[in-house]
Amino acid sequence: MPFAGIDVGSLTAQAVLIEDGKTQILKSLGVRLLSHSISVRPNPLDSARTVMGGLLDESGLSWSDITYCVSTGYGRDSVQAEGLAQANVSEISCHGTGAYSLAPHVRTIIDIGGQDAKVIRMDQGGDLVNFVMNDKCAAGTGRFLEVMSRTLGVGFEELGPLAFRARGKVELSSRCSIFAETEVLHYLQKGAEKSDLAAGVTRSMADRVMALARRVGVEKDVMMTGGVAKNVAVRSELEKMLGLRMIVPSIDPQLIGAYGAAVMARRAGGVQ
Amino acid sequence: MITVGIDIGNLLSKVVVLDGDAILASGIMLTTGNASSEIGGLVSRVLDDAGIARSHVGAFASTGSGADLAGDDCVVADEITCVAAAGAYFLAEINMVVDVGGQSITAVLIDEDGDVVNFMRNDKCASGSGRFLEVMSNAVGVDIDDIDETASGAKSPVSISSQCGVFAESEVITHVNAGENPADIVAGLCDSVASIVSAQARRFGSGDHYTLTGGVARIGAVAERINDRMDGTYYEFPHDPRLAACIGAALLAGLDDIDS
Repeated sequence: MPFAGIDVGSLTAQAVLIEDGKTQILKSLGVRLLSHSISVRPNPLDSARTVMGGLLDESGLSWSDITYCVSTGYGRDSVQAEGLAQANVSEISCHGTGAYSLAPHVRTIIDIGGQDAKVIRMDQGGDLVNFVMNDKCAAGTGRFLEVMSRTLGVGFEELGPLAFRARGKVELSSRCSIFAETEVLHYLQKGAEKSDLAAGVTRSMADRVMALARRVGVEKDVMMTGGVAKNVAVRSELEKMLGLRMIVPSIDPQLIGAYGAAVMARRAGGVQ
Repeated sequence: MITVGIDIGNLLSKVVVLDGDAILASGIMLTTGNASSEIGGLVSRVLDDAGIARSHVGAFASTGSGADLAGDDCVVADEITCVAAAGAYFLAEINMVVDVGGQSITAVLIDEDGDVVNFMRNDKCASGSGRFLEVMSNAVGVDIDDIDETASGAKSPVSISSQCGVFAESEVITHVNAGENPADIVAGLCDSVASIVSAQARRFGSGDHYTLTGGVARIGAVAERINDRMDGTYYEFPHDPRLAACIGAALLAGLDDIDS
C-alpha cells in the first residue's frame, strides 16, 4: 500500500512516496522512500500535479495505486479540492510529524526554507507545543543567503564551503538584506576577502535564526530541516551558538515536509 | 552671520550656505567611500557659488551618519535635532516632521519652540526608505527621477503586499514579467511606500500639523499618497526637502547652541 505526501513550497515542490511492510514496490526499486523535486510553477496546482506526476513516473505507479495522499504547503487546500490529495495538513504539523518519525527524541525543529524560517517545538509524543515563524523579512531565510551569494559572485552551494575558508573576521552591521548587500559591496571594493565576507554572512544568518529560536525556547534534540540545512557553515555556526550538535535527518532535509505528509497519509490509511 | 551646514547621509551628501535664514547656495553629491576627502571639495564649490570666502563663514556644522567626516572646524549636530529645527523655523505651525531619507524613516514630534519632544526612527530595515524605492523602480526599469511622471499614467495600481525590500522586489519582477503596465506597478510602489511611511508617522498620533523632508518628499506621487493616509494638515517644506537636515545644521550653527 503506497502512501504519498505533496509539499508545495515557495521555490521548490516535493513529493514523497512511502509504503507499509506488506508491499515491496520501493524495496524492488532499492530505496526506503521515493521522492521527486521540482522548481515551482506559478500555480500551486500545476506544481502539485507535475511533482506528483514525476514521482509516479519514477515509481511505475499510477494515481489510482496511491492508497492515500496528504498535501501541505502553499495551496494545500486547493490541491485537495482538486482531488490530488485526500486530506491537507499544515506545514508545521507535517514538519513535526516527519521529524518525529525519523528521530523521536527531537523536541525542536529549525526549518529554514527559501523565503521563511520556522522554529517548531514538540513534546515527547511528537505533538506541537509552540512555533514561531518569520516570512515577513528576508533576513534569516534562504533568500538572504541567495542575495548574499549573488553579491559575492559565488554559487549558492559554494557559500558554505567558502565561509569555512575564512581567515579574518568581518562583521556585517546590517540585518536588512538590502543594506547588507550595500555593505558587502563596500567591503569588496575595499578589498576584503570573499571567504571572510561569506563567514560574516553566515554569522549574520545564524544570529537572525537564533533570535527566532529564543522566542520559543530551544530544547534538545534539535533537528535542522529545509534547504538551508544543506549549508554546512550555517549549520556549524548555529551549533556553536546553541552549544549543541544538531541532528541531521537521514533523508534530504528539504523533504521533511512532504515526508511528514506521507507519514500522515499512512496513519490516515490505517497504518501506524 | 554666514553659516555652512553639511549633511553626510548614507546615499547623498549635501552642503548649504546660509546668510541668516537665506540660502545663498547649496550642493548635493553622492556619498562615496571617500566622503572625508570629497566633502571638502563640495563645500568649496558651494562657497564659490555663494561668492563667500571661507574666512567669512561664522560657523560650520555637520550632521548625518557621516557627520564626523566633515572636518575639525565643524560642530557636529544631531540629525533629528536638525530636521526639527529646519521644519520649525520655516513652518511655525507644525508639530511633526516626517523625514524619509535614503536608508531611514524618522518621525519627530516637536513643541512650539521647535525642540524635539520625541522621535521614532527605523534605520534597521530598508522598508519604505529611499533605497527601497530605488531598488523597486530599478526592477521596473524606471529612473527614480521619473517616478512622478510614470505614476501619473496609472489606471489601476498594482498592489504590492510585501514590506521587505527583497520580497517586494521579487513581487515587482513577477508583475513586470506578467506584462503589467509599468505605470500601474510604479503607482503601486508609491502606495506601498506611502503606507509604510504613514504607518510609522501615525504611531505618534498627534501629528496634526506636519511636514515631509528627505529625498522621498521630493517625489510628489509618494508625498500625495502619504498625505492621503494622514489625518493632519500637510505643510510643504519651502526648500528642497533633501536639504532639510543640512539647513537645520546651518541654522543651529548660527544660534551657537548646538546640543548634540
